[in-house]
Amino acid sequence: MQMFPVIAKQWYRQEWVTVAALGLWGVLFLLFWLWGRLGLLIHPNYFPLAIISGFILLGIAILQARRLAKKQVMPLQHLSLLPPSWMSWLLVVTALIGLFITPRPFNSDTAVHRGLGDGLTVTRNKPQAFRANTPPEQRTLVDWVRTLDIYPEPDAYSGLPVNVEGFAVHPASFPDDTLTLARFVITCCAADAYPVGLAVKLPQPRSQYPADQWYRVKGRMITATLDGQRQLTIQAQEVIPIPQPDNPFAT
Amino acid sequence: MDVVSQFQSGYTLFLSLLVEAIPFLLLGVLLSGLLLLFVDERRLVALMPRNALAGALAGSLMGFMFPVCECGNVPVARRLLAQGVPTSVAMGFLLAAPTINPIVIWATWVAFRDQPEIVVLRILFTLVIATVVGAVFSVQKDLTPFLQPAMNAIVPQGKPALESALLRGGTYWLDQPGQPVAADTLALTLAPPAPATLSWAARLPLLLDNTIQELRELGGILILGSLIAAIVQVAVPRDVVLGLGQGPIISVITMMILGAVISICSTVDAFFALAFAATFTPGSLLAFLVLGPMVDLKGIGLLLTIFRPRALIYIFAIVAQLTFFFCLFVNLRWS
Repeated sequence: MQMFPVIAKQWYRQEWVTVAALGLWGVLFLLFWLWGRLGLLIHPNYFPLAIISGFILLGIAILQARRLAKKQVMPLQHLSLLPPSWMSWLLVVTALIGLFITPRPFNSDTAVHRGLGDGLTVTRNKPQAFRANTPPEQRTLVDWVRTLDIYPEPDAYSGLPVNVEGFAVHPASFPDDTLTLARFVITCCAADAYPVGLAVKLPQPRSQYPADQWYRVKGRMITATLDGQRQLTIQAQEVIPIPQPDNPFAT
Repeated sequence: MDVVSQFQSGYTLFLSLLVEAIPFLLLGVLLSGLLLLFVDERRLVALMPRNALAGALAGSLMGFMFPVCECGNVPVARRLLAQGVPTSVAMGFLLAAPTINPIVIWATWVAFRDQPEIVVLRILFTLVIATVVGAVFSVQKDLTPFLQPAMNAIVPQGKPALESALLRGGTYWLDQPGQPVAADTLALTLAPPAPATLSWAARLPLLLDNTIQELRELGGILILGSLIAAIVQVAVPRDVVLGLGQGPIISVITMMILGAVISICSTVDAFFALAFAATFTPGSLLAFLVLGPMVDLKGIGLLLTIFRPRALIYIFAIVAQLTFFFCLFVNLRWS
């Protein structure tokens, strides 16, 4: 199929942008894997899929670049919603943004915005894996919240030892010596991550424990009345700052 | 939430939707390209039942053979009609194939594995709606008033047109020696029809071209859709989202409109819906997942190459009403 030289030049330029777009997305997937950023975005079950996709996208870009360089590609007519060059540039720009701006894990603001403290999630709070026999001091924050989902009477847990990790959230309605220790639970990707948390009564005012900092809290369970509701609360004996985990989401 | 926090969580959300969805998009595009290029659909056409209801159901299930999303199904349905399949089969395929195929079912399962009822009901509702519409349209013996003039020219009346393309009128490309390709068919297909007649060496570059064009088109739409989902999640006050999302009727209507407007590819729309899973009723999520692949802005242009506007209005009206009632029933029954 012969084309006018000007159209051919434009068409080849557009095809090169598309190759760059697919190549950049391949690189982005592989670098997110190598930089350990996949855990900020998706559930670990889907890491292999993302990594393989990175290799395939890169492979497609390399194959097509070789064919374009040898002028072996013929224009193919295809109806599209928006001009193909817009789509290619959209893919290129988004991949470049992904490469240069580091995604951040969700913070305490997001936890409050996503409903931490207002009855958790409205429709998605079904436990997926639950081990009732775990000794209390080995239960994670998520294990505790799931235990409470099933048997919500706080007094049933009074006096049990606790050793959990999470980040600090300062709910406005809580007294000055109480914060919420929270984590986000992920089932698929960050879009469905929802916050879970437990109130912690602190040995010192909470201004000593900045929001968003990660802590390991050791103590015992008590029942306290917060926001006019009886709640299971951790009476903290030790509150130790810890670095944010590589994979901040609980699964 | 302050602006910096909003931006950061919106950005993380946006990237996470893309990183989760692109592998599924890639898989869908690769598989549909492989099947379009390596399966001879004329053999399938010969096997299709002539009974209206059975034909509509068989057409609805053909997505397992052609796992195309809503951009790929129109060219395939066009070719099926041109090859003389009963209307019920073509309609069933047109409406159901974007959802009833292995990639979309898997993606929906990945997104909603803790709400398996969403996956099952999505398949069930889509099958029922596609079959009903297919059966209803098969009552119309003469489709001429519903089809575009260009389609009427290539749709054989009465019996399957498996004879040589040379017996039909129109403009043709000479793609391969002795293999003329109808221009009106080629214009909408990603690869020339009847690719099974091409050699393997000729089919592989076509597969690559097809994959790249689909990824460019659908990847771009996916980026725009993910951007909208991220903005809605972080910028719209939670009270407003909960207000819209929790009413059994208003939530269904909202998600039906969103599904029709947002035009996101069915391979990845489950991840988009996931962004609303915490705040919207299950019925409304289903409305988005059932209606979106059948009726969306992006598809209207493509569908208008087959149907006249009047027929499209009939199709959309039936699909929208059935979706609304099924999903409302889900909300009222299980809320």
